[in-house]
Amino acid sequence: MADEGVQKTLEELSRDLQESKARLEEAQRVAHVGHWEWDLETDVVVWSDETYRIFGLSPQERPIDLATVRSMVHPEDREPLYQGVDQDLVAGERPNAEFRIVRPSGEVRRVSSLTSERWSSVPGDTKRDASGRPYKLFGTIQDITERKRTEEALQESSRKLQESKAWLEEAQRVAHVGYWVWDLQTNRVIWSDETYRIFGLTPQEGLIDLDKVREMIHPDDREAVFRTAEEAVRSGARADCEHRLFRPNGEMRIVHSLGDLKKDSSGRPYQIFGTTQDITERKRAEEALKQSQFYLSEGQRLAHIGSWASNDLGIRWSDDLGIYWSEEIYKIYGLDPQNGAPNLEQYLAAVHPDDRASMAETVRVMHEQRSGCDVIHRIVRPDGEVRHVRCVGVPVFEGGVFKAFHGTTIDVTEHERLTQELRRERAYLTEAQSLTHTGSWACNLLTREIFHSSDENARLYGFDPSQGAIPFDRFYNAILAEDEVALRAKLENAIAEGADYDVDFRIRRTDGAIRFLRGIGHHNPSQEVGEYVGITMDITERKRAEEEREKLRQLEADLAHINRVNMMGELAAALAHEIRQPIAASITSANACLRWLARDPPDLERARAAAARIERDGNRAADVINHLRSFYKKGTPPERGIVNLKDIIREMTALLRRETVRHSIKIHSELNEDIPNVLADRVQLQQVFMNLMLNAIEAMKDTGGKLTISSRLTPEGQVIVSIGDTGVGLPAENTERLFDAFHTTKPQGTGMGLAITRSIVEAHGGRVWATVNQEAGATFHFTLPAKAEADA
Amino acid sequence: MKSAAVPTVFIIDDDRGVRQAIHDLVESVGLRAESFATGEEFLGRRHAGRPSCLVLDVRLPQMSGLDFQRRLAESGMQIPIIFITAHGDIPMSVRALKSGAVEFLTKPFRDQDLLDAIQQALEGDRVAQEQQAEIHNVHERYRALTAREQEVLILVISGLLNKQIASEIGASEATVKIHRGNVMHKMQAASVADLVRMADKLKLSPRK
Repeated sequence: MADEGVQKTLEELSRDLQESKARLEEAQRVAHVGHWEWDLETDVVVWSDETYRIFGLSPQERPIDLATVRSMVHPEDREPLYQGVDQDLVAGERPNAEFRIVRPSGEVRRVSSLTSERWSSVPGDTKRDASGRPYKLFGTIQDITERKRTEEALQESSRKLQESKAWLEEAQRVAHVGYWVWDLQTNRVIWSDETYRIFGLTPQEGLIDLDKVREMIHPDDREAVFRTAEEAVRSGARADCEHRLFRPNGEMRIVHSLGDLKKDSSGRPYQIFGTTQDITERKRAEEALKQSQFYLSEGQRLAHIGSWASNDLGIRWSDDLGIYWSEEIYKIYGLDPQNGAPNLEQYLAAVHPDDRASMAETVRVMHEQRSGCDVIHRIVRPDGEVRHVRCVGVPVFEGGVFKAFHGTTIDVTEHERLTQELRRERAYLTEAQSLTHTGSWACNLLTREIFHSSDENARLYGFDPSQGAIPFDRFYNAILAEDEVALRAKLENAIAEGADYDVDFRIRRTDGAIRFLRGIGHHNPSQEVGEYVGITMDITERKRAEEEREKLRQLEADLAHINRVNMMGELAAALAHEIRQPIAASITSANACLRWLARDPPDLERARAAAARIERDGNRAADVINHLRSFYKKGTPPERGIVNLKDIIREMTALLRRETVRHSIKIHSELNEDIPNVLADRVQLQQVFMNLMLNAIEAMKDTGGKLTISSRLTPEGQVIVSIGDTGVGLPAENTERLFDAFHTTKPQGTGMGLAITRSIVEAHGGRVWATVNQEAGATFHFTLPAKAEADA
Repeated sequence: MKSAAVPTVFIIDDDRGVRQAIHDLVESVGLRAESFATGEEFLGRRHAGRPSCLVLDVRLPQMSGLDFQRRLAESGMQIPIIFITAHGDIPMSVRALKSGAVEFLTKPFRDQDLLDAIQQALEGDRVAQEQQAEIHNVHERYRALTAREQEVLILVISGLLNKQIASEIGASEATVKIHRGNVMHKMQAASVADLVRMADKLKLSPRK
């Protein structure tokens, strides 16, 4: 019974065990968990069915040992796994690990292996050896591939979420775009960090409601912004507006906001989601761009420069040049930008007919050779006006590949006009120089360098200007030797003082002709020593004219001489008056005498008286004639008498008044009141004064001046009379010769005046001489013996 | 004619010889002569109311003869002048004659030429002096008239009848007749025509 019962119990137990085993197997299969046993001494491994499955094998397909297990562990995980297990075992720890296995199909699975807390599969059986070290391990293995994947996918998506959140933030920050959510029910507003920043606030610094938003919007834009919002709510359309706002620090920003209406399932709007972008910088950049474009186009307009670009010219030879023209080019060509850039035919039609062929050739060459151009040609505007334009084009290459032509078109009409004018004026100048025989030059007289020499300058010397530059020395050597010395001295002096100069000199031209030149040099403002600019003129003709004039002047002088002879005639007339008076008196007295005698009875007394007067007046006339003779007859003993010098000077001054007034000459007398009378021939003394005063007048007749007559007494009892002028002075030669007969320095002089003067003065026991004045002119002096009182 | 009326020839010449010779020549023909070296001396002398003339040298020490002539004319002294000169020229003589000179003689001159010129000058002066004396007499007579008589004289030479004069001066015709008789008598007028001539000399103008 007992056996029966035991048998029965055993059967039952076995059945229970089988059932437990089956349930365990089932549990293992469902949970993908298998178990294993590893005999550390034999390295025999026992796997549960599920463990086989996990390793991709059929359950209990074959016995397993450690080497089999090792071979199935993923090669990368193999070493770390077993090293970890060894270390754990040494340390007395339970070796747990996660690692990959490779199924025979090649599929990689990730598994988690846990070693049981117990060292043996049977509780209480420690399965340890004598040293206490375990010799058998029991554990589970779970296929966690799916779980791991899910986990990783979760981790990845979580990471990505975080990342995109950060990116969004970054993007918002970079783009200055923030978002906002406006709850239409509560009027509460949620802002993103960037929205806070745009409004000048610290992110999430406080709750935002509609009133706060309204307050921060620029008062002028407030109404428009909310009208746009209301419109969006009403119509459901996207709200889109630009407006300004003020940050708390007062700074103004410009933003662009967009908003989309959200509606609930019942179609009732409950929220607006939107973005706000800070476009201040963009707006400013736009403004600056607009401004710089304006400046550019204005600059082009002012400078008459247009720019162009062509993508097709040079790539493809076509009628359509694919050209871009700036506005200014249209203006230069007088075309309407509305009509667009011209094609090749239209372009060439605008070119002046005379330049068209060459321009077409230029475009062709550019196209074929992809070369640049720089040409000036004429265009004809639609209104017929001809303009000169300069067209500059350059090929643009990128990485050695031709891309396009870029260029500028400049209206150079004014420039051309000026250039032509300059050319013309240069031609005029050359012509003028040639006509006036004036050459211009610039040179350094010290270094003998010539910087500029006009053609005419060369021609003046007989050089051919077409033969190239003529060296300084060739010019200089043409100067006549006799003029060169004085010229060099003048030039050296001018150079030393940095002064201008004006010189006349003669040259011998290559053809042998002698020419008079006048050189005027102006010290160059560059202040380089010896540097001069100037002109050289041929004054040969003028010199000849001057000679002619000199001849004329001579004639005039001769006429003046005749005048003087006339004056001598006046003097003669004055003398004739002197003679006429006594003669008239004599004749009248004779008539009276006859009438007294004719009376009845004759009045003899009165007749005698009349006869006596006749004798007296006759003698008077004879005296005058005798005096006259003494003027011309040398050696005649003078008729000495007591003469008052002051009287004579007064008389002569009166006689010469007309002459002095005519020549603006003032007579100044410095007569010593105490001068004694002299014993002299009155008429001869008059002659002396007349000669010396006329000489003085002669010396000043062109300039005017002062005639001074002075007298003084020497201790020796001689009266010295001096007659001075402020005129031309005396010739440098020996003044003693002045008094020789027929010696004269004046073209109109007789050479007799001073000779007669000397003869008269010496006949009176005096002497005559001349001195040169310190300031101007000359003074003639003569002495006469004073009449001693005792002799009177 | 009284002896005081013997004509006088004045001579101005700075040349003593010439001066004395002319003086003597003038006296040799029975005329009175007075000679001076300068114009000032001549002006300083009182002139009697007898016919006279002036022989004047063109060239004088202080003042030319022509200037002296002008000065005489300016001072109202009317005396015929004969110029003499030792070196006269035509423009000068023209100027002198235009200014009223009787003659312009160049030294030496013929004595008869000078004496003829002197005679002509003296005759001219005599006539002028007589005219002057006549005017002087008429003036004296006119001044002897009463104011009323002078008034009547003007009206008479204006050709008014006695009746008209009476009404003009507010008197009776008889009174006018008496005034008129007095005027004719005092003025020594033989007729109204005579009276008109006298009024003309007095430079009285008839009433219009």
